[in-house]
Amino acid sequence: MSEAAILMKDLCKDFKVLNRHEGLKGSIRDLFSRDYKTISAVKDVSLTIGKGEIIGYLGPNGAGKSTTIKMMTGVLEPTSGEILVNGNIPYKDRTRNSERIGVVFGQRSQLWWSLPLIESFNLLRDIYMIKQKDYEDMLELYRSLVDLEPIIKKPVRQMSLGQRTLSDILAAFLHNPDIVFLDEPTIGLDVSMKAKIRDLISGLNKTKNTTVILTTHDMGDVDALCKRIVIIDKGQKIYDNDIEHLKSYFGSYRTLKLRLADDTWEEHLIDESKEDIMQIIMEKQKSLGVKDIQLQEISTEEVIKKIYEGGVG
Amino acid sequence: MSKLEKTGNSRGLGFYLSIYKKILIQDLKTKMSYRADFVISTFGMILTNLSGFVTFLILFRNFPTINGWDYHHMLFLYGFSLIALTPVQCFFDNNWNLRFMVRSGDFIKYCFRPINVFFYFMSEVFDVKGLGQLAFGLGTLIYAWYHIGLKVTAGSIGLLVLYIFTASLFMIAIMNFAAATAFWMEGSGNVMVIMFRFKDFAKYPASIFNSVFRFLFTFIIPIAFIAYYPSLALLSPDEEPLMTGIAPIFGVLVFYLSYRFWMRGVKRYDFTGS
Repeated sequence: MSEAAILMKDLCKDFKVLNRHEGLKGSIRDLFSRDYKTISAVKDVSLTIGKGEIIGYLGPNGAGKSTTIKMMTGVLEPTSGEILVNGNIPYKDRTRNSERIGVVFGQRSQLWWSLPLIESFNLLRDIYMIKQKDYEDMLELYRSLVDLEPIIKKPVRQMSLGQRTLSDILAAFLHNPDIVFLDEPTIGLDVSMKAKIRDLISGLNKTKNTTVILTTHDMGDVDALCKRIVIIDKGQKIYDNDIEHLKSYFGSYRTLKLRLADDTWEEHLIDESKEDIMQIIMEKQKSLGVKDIQLQEISTEEVIKKIYEGGVG
Repeated sequence: MSKLEKTGNSRGLGFYLSIYKKILIQDLKTKMSYRADFVISTFGMILTNLSGFVTFLILFRNFPTINGWDYHHMLFLYGFSLIALTPVQCFFDNNWNLRFMVRSGDFIKYCFRPINVFFYFMSEVFDVKGLGQLAFGLGTLIYAWYHIGLKVTAGSIGLLVLYIFTASLFMIAIMNFAAATAFWMEGSGNVMVIMFRFKDFAKYPASIFNSVFRFLFTFIIPIAFIAYYPSLALLSPDEEPLMTGIAPIFGVLVFYLSYRFWMRGVKRYDFTGS
């Protein structure tokens, strides 16, 4: 069969949203109400993702990232279009699809809150029917990639955010799935923990050839892990190419922030291939007086905005 | 390609029971370690039951019989209802959290595992407080059983077990229906509270209500099946009403429908919370 882990063709998802009413009386009325409006969350998205790839799946909030992932995980049924995950139609057989995927969704731990991590792992072993040998090998691999000792006997509820994220990622890979979905895995973590998480993801991807779909707002994650990125905005795919292409195109952009004499901040998006930053600072210094300077790399949001405006693909 | 060889269709009843047992053991271990919490909640449940029981006694000081039901028969009904209401308390208490999880979007995590969503959701909470209620109900039932002069035979015990099991399905079903409304509407908490209150009528013989309420408690909110109809199988086996005879089948049916309703809610829920 084909090498594709995920295949989507003209995938669409519409939501019918009820115009809700207030109070208990309103709620009961909502039960029978047909007062809907249709919102198109995903529009004609076609995408092929190969085995072992790490894809950065980006887009602003509400762009349709989560909806796409929910369709890939079999939680939502597409309104139209085709979707194949490991050759299966996910929503037709959610259970079977779940056996071969792993999910870390947002900041919501999927582990048993009060159980020590190892007990959660044991339960997952039983739920996924992992062979004892494979299970032990996997724990061995984990030990070689991260320091398990401080967390393995700790209940999830007593863990720090970083430890919890780490645990959730380990749990998602435990049954050696073909595809792992990671939604904002490094959000809210400090720099060293971010690095640790990235190393872990990259290590697991390399040893197990697991396909990883990574949604994030952190360009650092994308830089460290992804060769290819897909950007979605307003439900439509607006960019699908390797990251080098994106960098060469937008690498020259910086955001310059200036604090002026009257203590207000001024922002400029600068294309260094056309303008000289020093020149601008000096001009401002002369005309308005500059008290402080910040120079920032362009953020994902701005890149996306640029792509959307410029229409590169 | 070894990943493809895994067979996944072998998750039967045995699988689920073993998973539940493991979760339960782990959960109890944790609860025991929070000893103060454990003691206080058990103590609270005993107090709740005691106060209910005292109300019952006071009632009987003033009315020695209710519609032909004397003290011990009423006690039988009371004990029976407490036992029949234990499973919903112990095993299905997570229904109370459903609306919060649905609203916040956290509910989605139950959809990523290769196991039944309803099972996975319910298995997460085992409420120990139900055990105090069970002990109380058993004590009351045994006391009443003895004073009424019912025989202890394999047949009568078997009948008791069958009817307690099926009676418990009714309250579980009612709460499933009530909780699952969270998938469609915002005010499901009110629905749950109202439905939960109805169980207080379960310990009275349905014959004391007028025909409207009797119909309501039999077919609409079937709390008459929690104690009244099933008890008659033991208390008056010679003249048991039709409803007593069909109670076990009806119970399974109502539970199944509530399960389908709950799962239907999961299907239509669009998880926009995240």
